[in-house]
Amino acid sequence: MTATKQRPAIPFPSKEAWATADEFEQLYRQQAPRIYALACRMAGSPEDGEDLLQEIFLQAYRKLGTFKGDSTIGTWLYRLALNHCLDYVRSRQAKMRKLTESLDGQTTEPAARRDTPIARLDLDRALERLPDGCREAFVLHDVEGFDHKEVGEMLGIAEGTSKSQVFKARMKLRAMLTR
Amino acid sequence: MHLTETSVNEFVDGTLGDAERRDAERHLAGCAECRQLVDDLREIRRVAGELESREPPVRAWSRIERAIRLEQEHAASTGAPRSGSRRLEPSVFARLKASRSSVTWLAAAAVLVIATAVGIRYSVGTRRAADERAGSAPATSNATEIASAAAVEAELRAAESHYERAIKGLEQITSAQQNALDPKTAATLQKNLAVIDQAISESRAAIRAQPASEPARESLIDSFKAKLALLQDTVALINEMRKGNEAGAARVVSGLKQRGN
Repeated sequence: MTATKQRPAIPFPSKEAWATADEFEQLYRQQAPRIYALACRMAGSPEDGEDLLQEIFLQAYRKLGTFKGDSTIGTWLYRLALNHCLDYVRSRQAKMRKLTESLDGQTTEPAARRDTPIARLDLDRALERLPDGCREAFVLHDVEGFDHKEVGEMLGIAEGTSKSQVFKARMKLRAMLTR
Repeated sequence: MHLTETSVNEFVDGTLGDAERRDAERHLAGCAECRQLVDDLREIRRVAGELESREPPVRAWSRIERAIRLEQEHAASTGAPRSGSRRLEPSVFARLKASRSSVTWLAAAAVLVIATAVGIRYSVGTRRAADERAGSAPATSNATEIASAAAVEAELRAAESHYERAIKGLEQITSAQQNALDPKTAATLQKNLAVIDQAISESRAAIRAQPASEPARESLIDSFKAKLALLQDTVALINEMRKGNEAGAARVVSGLKQRGN
């Protein structure tokens, strides 16, 4: 992973010592906000994000024994969460392939100049209104910091498709946020 | 002629070749419209890279904790340890052992709710996809339409039944533990439940008037979800209070109040 956004290493007890209940709860308290944010943004709704968060930590509990200590526990959990989100995305793609992307026809004409900077909260809300495909690529590239090659591999699309999806997402976000 | 969307985005990402970048810079020097587009996309990219983490609802940990404990209990009762897993120490839930039977009840209800939520999420999604496919077909026979309507109706009834069972279980718990809540919080809870019950009644009335109305069906399911979430928050609050976790309880109460606004 060559994500450009550097994540701080999270100190944690040795793998022999850490798997007690309180420590698992501590792991949750440390990591849940980051994982929940990822899940909400990938799923496109807080409700589905909460379900994913729960499934991810249950899976983490089941796989604790496979953690080898080669990376920080935070990195291990992030990878597990990302894979789970990608499984969810693929499953949804298979089920919902026929759904039209409601914003596809939305204009991307140059918008009126806005007077205030884009607020993070507004961007987070606007993300929920993006079509699934371009939102997923945008979250992985512009939010999580993966490059297009990695995004393409994760989503099972060509590198060029990742680019066009991210570009499409930015133009739609611009149309939504600069009105 | 303006820069293409691709060129603008590549320029923003800094991935244009030297010659293309110089061409773009020359164009931008004389084109306010493209400069504005570049500025906006840079701003979106910058803000996206600074998006913050989100604090999950307090009930999320309670649900995970209970589900894990149920797994442990199931593994203990069947004597079948899961491969590759590291079992949490029994002390994990020692804080909750004081009222063992009701905790088991809470756990069972939580799992029912989890299963229901996941089931509904997928079944509604699948149904919507099926509806979309059916809608895009050039011609659909009456028999298929009738069968499809009947399937939707059956699915809605099944969803309603799932939600009602989950809600009933949680209502029994919250009702039995009502004295654990201070009067003000209990009043807030009752007020919010009354609002949601009203929404459920109105949605049911709308479905009776227009059985095929998709908005009415979605409204009913949304109302059920809202009620479930509120009751789950209440159970989380009761647990936090039992644990003596004032900070956790305050977070839940804050959520309950926000929900009521």
